Amino acid sequence: MLNPSVVPARSFLYRELQKRGAALGEVNGYGCAMRIGSDAAAEDAQARSLGLCDLTPLKRIGFKGWATAEWLIGQGATLEDAPNRVYPQDDGARIARLSKGEFVILGDLHLRSTLPDRLGIAWSINNASGCFRVPREDASAWLCLSGEHAGAMFAKVCGIDMRPQHFANNQIAQTSLARMNAIIMRNDRGATLAFDLVFDLASAVYLWNALLDAMTEFDGKPVGLEAVRGLG
Amino acid sequence: MTRMTSRLAEPFGSLIDRAKPITFSFEGRSVQGFAGDTIASALLASNITMISRSFKYHRPRGPMTMAGQDGNTLVQIGPEPNRLADRVAIKEGLVVKGLNYWGSLERDYFALLGLFDRFLPVGFYYKAFYKPRWLWPFWEAVIRRVAGLGKVDVHAHHGYFDKEYLFCDVLVVGGGPAGLEAALKAAETAGEVILVDENASLGGSLNYARFDEVGARARVERDRLIAALDARPNIRVMTDTVCNGAYADNWYPLVKANRLYKLRAKTAVFATGSYEQPLTFRNNDLPGVMLGSAAQRLIKLYAVRPGQRAVVVAANDDAYGVALDLLDAGVEVACVTDLRADPPPAPLSAALLKRHVPVIAGVTVYEAEASAGGRGVCAVRLAKVTSEGIAQIMGDRFVCDLIAVSTGYAPTSPLISQAGGTFGYDEASAMLAIRSLPADVVAAGSVNGAYALDAALEDGRHAGWQAMRSQRLAAGDEPRLSAEKGARGITWPFPIFSHPRGKNFVDFDEDISVKDFEHAMLEGFEHVELLKRFTTNGMGPSQGRASSMPAIRLAARHAKRTIDETGTTTSRPPVTQVKIGHLAGRSFDPVRYTAMHFRHLEAGARMMSAGLWLRPEFYGDPKQRAALITAEAKNVRENVGLIDVSTLGGLDVRGPDAAEFLNRMYTFAYAKQPIGRSRYVLMTDQAGVIIDDGVACRFHNDWFYVTATTSGVDAVYRSMLWYNAQWRLKVDITNVTAAYAGVNLAGPNARKVLEKLCKDADLSKDAFPYMGVREATVAGIKALLLRVGFVGELGYEIHVPASRGEALWDALMIAGKEFGIRAFGVEAQRVLRLEKGHIIVSQDTDGLTTPWEADMAWAIAKTKPFFVGQRSLEIQAKQKFARKLVGFEITDRAQAVPKECHLVIRGTEITGRVTSIADSTSLGKIIGMAYVAADQSEPGTTIDIRVDGGAMVKATVVKMPFYDPDAARQEL
Repeated sequence: MLNPSVVPARSFLYRELQKRGAALGEVNGYGCAMRIGSDAAAEDAQARSLGLCDLTPLKRIGFKGWATAEWLIGQGATLEDAPNRVYPQDDGARIARLSKGEFVILGDLHLRSTLPDRLGIAWSINNASGCFRVPREDASAWLCLSGEHAGAMFAKVCGIDMRPQHFANNQIAQTSLARMNAIIMRNDRGATLAFDLVFDLASAVYLWNALLDAMTEFDGKPVGLEAVRGLG
Repeated sequence: MTRMTSRLAEPFGSLIDRAKPITFSFEGRSVQGFAGDTIASALLASNITMISRSFKYHRPRGPMTMAGQDGNTLVQIGPEPNRLADRVAIKEGLVVKGLNYWGSLERDYFALLGLFDRFLPVGFYYKAFYKPRWLWPFWEAVIRRVAGLGKVDVHAHHGYFDKEYLFCDVLVVGGGPAGLEAALKAAETAGEVILVDENASLGGSLNYARFDEVGARARVERDRLIAALDARPNIRVMTDTVCNGAYADNWYPLVKANRLYKLRAKTAVFATGSYEQPLTFRNNDLPGVMLGSAAQRLIKLYAVRPGQRAVVVAANDDAYGVALDLLDAGVEVACVTDLRADPPPAPLSAALLKRHVPVIAGVTVYEAEASAGGRGVCAVRLAKVTSEGIAQIMGDRFVCDLIAVSTGYAPTSPLISQAGGTFGYDEASAMLAIRSLPADVVAAGSVNGAYALDAALEDGRHAGWQAMRSQRLAAGDEPRLSAEKGARGITWPFPIFSHPRGKNFVDFDEDISVKDFEHAMLEGFEHVELLKRFTTNGMGPSQGRASSMPAIRLAARHAKRTIDETGTTTSRPPVTQVKIGHLAGRSFDPVRYTAMHFRHLEAGARMMSAGLWLRPEFYGDPKQRAALITAEAKNVRENVGLIDVSTLGGLDVRGPDAAEFLNRMYTFAYAKQPIGRSRYVLMTDQAGVIIDDGVACRFHNDWFYVTATTSGVDAVYRSMLWYNAQWRLKVDITNVTAAYAGVNLAGPNARKVLEKLCKDADLSKDAFPYMGVREATVAGIKALLLRVGFVGELGYEIHVPASRGEALWDALMIAGKEFGIRAFGVEAQRVLRLEKGHIIVSQDTDGLTTPWEADMAWAIAKTKPFFVGQRSLEIQAKQKFARKLVGFEITDRAQAVPKECHLVIRGTEITGRVTSIADSTSLGKIIGMAYVAADQSEPGTTIDIRVDGGAMVKATVVKMPFYDPDAARQEL
């Protein structure tokens, strides 16, 4: 098992995950919780019921500015004009359009998507006028909340109606989550209801515990990356 | 153990489970009931009729409404005071006590107060105890002893309370016949309907009231409605749930157990029903006097026989239903006294006549006689009703232990009023009636004047249709509404009878009798709002449900006005009890950790709050705080220290207009700032007041990385966005505070440590001078290096991606080990920066401090055309300053050491205050900053500082910085 103290990049949550018996593997230079506990089948079922997974080690990047949409399209991204929508890309990445000029690009769970890295390499302050890089990979934590109870659980921490019949797949809410600013994106994994939460990295431990507390009512528990990958 | 007397046979007792006996204690006695019983029903089933004592005269009290609408049943349950015994279900092992007694509930010494009631009129508190003033502590102790409702156990275990948001198309409050019909009708086209009822089961009056001669219809209707409800999956039913208020934008708080639901509904249907109203006569508060509906609830819901021999007081046909139910339950009905001189023929009264119960028309109960100790009723005396509120005593006396009163109703109006609806008085029905409703609020059932069962059902269907029409989703034709709703002739217009010996209570919560109202109005408190406040009527736990209308009727009669002219009092949330836990919990208190947070904890740091962040105050045993802070500071001065500065704000200002933007936002000049250099930034508001500071690091012609204070960065960021929304400069502003972990490596050995880890940058003085900035690699991590000197030593701020912060910290601590590196906290940094004379914005500045007062004219560019605050500063520069921020020192160690905020005094004048102070080991003296009068600011001036206890300490104004005035050390 990986010792997270020997890798340079560390999720703020690695201690919380270790406390819960996470098996850590290296992902993008981070110690990433691949499995939590010893019963993989139960963990997979947990992800379908109500699971919380730390995806902070996965690739993501952000851009904003008045000419950002044009620059992204120029780099091969597929976008539409409507904000607060997630636009799935061919390589598995997802582009979240937060406004006319602000975007978060999330890599896929299987690390196949090259878009975040390609954009990071292509961008320079000298060659992307009106488009500015936002260090989402460092400024923002990324959690995935999955399972049939996820919509109901949100009602305990968020004033937006996140139930699946009211909050469509690929819809985005930029709102207050347990009194913190957060971007909530509904990104179903296969047939399972799932939300990606992108929020202040410094508050990762706080929100992780606040969500787990709210999840207790639904027997929600943390799950590892493999369990979320298994959702499809 | 107090055993139950036999319960009535089924079908009585719809709420109890006879197979599940439960034992609890009341006043130290073991009492048995069944699952589904409330405390009150279980006690009455065990012949315990006195549950508590009254607030003022300590009179015995028993249940009056059996619906949680009166304060008579307030009890203490374990550590919880003021629970309603007729609402709380019994549980095994519950420990229940009555309230308001000294001695025991049975023998209460304070009950003697009732003998002196003539000396204790309403308002006597206001008049009796305020003089002489020195006697107040005595009276306060007495009043505190006598007053109060139960005891709060401050050591009680904290309960888990939380909140949840809810959403629906239609909210229906009230699960009675009208509410059920409304929900069903709305659900035909609504996506989601939420039906809320405060009771354990749906049905409302269908659960206990009698609507026909044989008493069968209620159950038939209830079963029909519940079956229809079960077939509607889009109706969410929430029983045991109270809608506790109506707020703007259709926000409704629903309280259920330990959770507060925050509901947003598109439309609300209030089918909240009506309160049955008591009758005011002498001793109408005795246990055994209850509403007719309370007697019916006891029989139908709990299978409890409410008495052995009853007198029923009537003013409507419902009272005859009560008498019939009592007969069915085996209670002897001594007589029915009907206030009406000529009761009209009606189905239930006709049925009762067949049961040979004497009915005495035009007569009221005039006085209830108390059994031994006033713990119950033993008889009633009757009187002939002669005019409004006047009755002529008759010789008739009936022995009884139960008086059931059914003389009228009042609509349950609070939620509708709070939602913006209005009520007026309807003389024909002698009740309030709805005059207007907001567009997204609908009323149904008896609260809407539909009292007859068929009318209520019809009104409910109509309300459900109306609710959906307001959302343009109504299905089918508008349901029909009958003209006759059954509201007339069911409420006695003046149900209050005077008695020369008083004790005829209007408000049971505060023991306010008819004469109390009369006295108050004679004193001039005639307006209903004044009358309410002077008498405290309606301000107790039952919130005027039973007392508000009688008080208005009394006020109207006194002033010879109509009730409409008299008006009603204002209804405000909450509708009923709300626990502090519901308001407080589950609260969210975000906290921010830096990347190195756990390393600090592992090193024994004492953490302190800095906004939402936690920062190390110092490292080590708190008992050695001062010594540890001194040692940390000393190590920076003599060796090398490392402090986590991740909490400092970081803003990327990028774009072709970035320099111009900074020129406008800050007082200094940035247009010509070279790439690779940093420059101090000072932000003022439009009044020229200092609001933040930091440094602007130029890494590219179009890119400044600007630091801000920990607590100020969010406001600075917002301010930047706000201004640029107007200026429309080609610039982008991004708050990257959380993206970077930052440390300050400071001390004469800082360069040696950094050189071990940074190989791609020349760190020499000439190549990387003071105020220089570089992009480099430290310990394999891409970093921004800033040569700044907040603590006045050779130092490097190293900013790296937050995910690498812990690795950077580890690498620096290892690399610095050979040089004796030591982590230092915020307190040591405060001492070090004070020695250098650096201000901390918001500690050494306040909401009025200008750069002129803070001696920071050097930070203001004179030739710029504009910056925020410039105009104000120019005006201020032409005026005299009243105060100035100066450095001071205290060399006489024999004097007391002042603290921050201690005042600078000159004669009788306060000229300033201390903002920062520290015992400087480096300098061997006490140093500080303080505001002083402008004419005290010259170095060498002696100022007097008043310290704790009032002593005056002499200090000398000196020039800052205190330490290394030539800045030789930081520019090494």
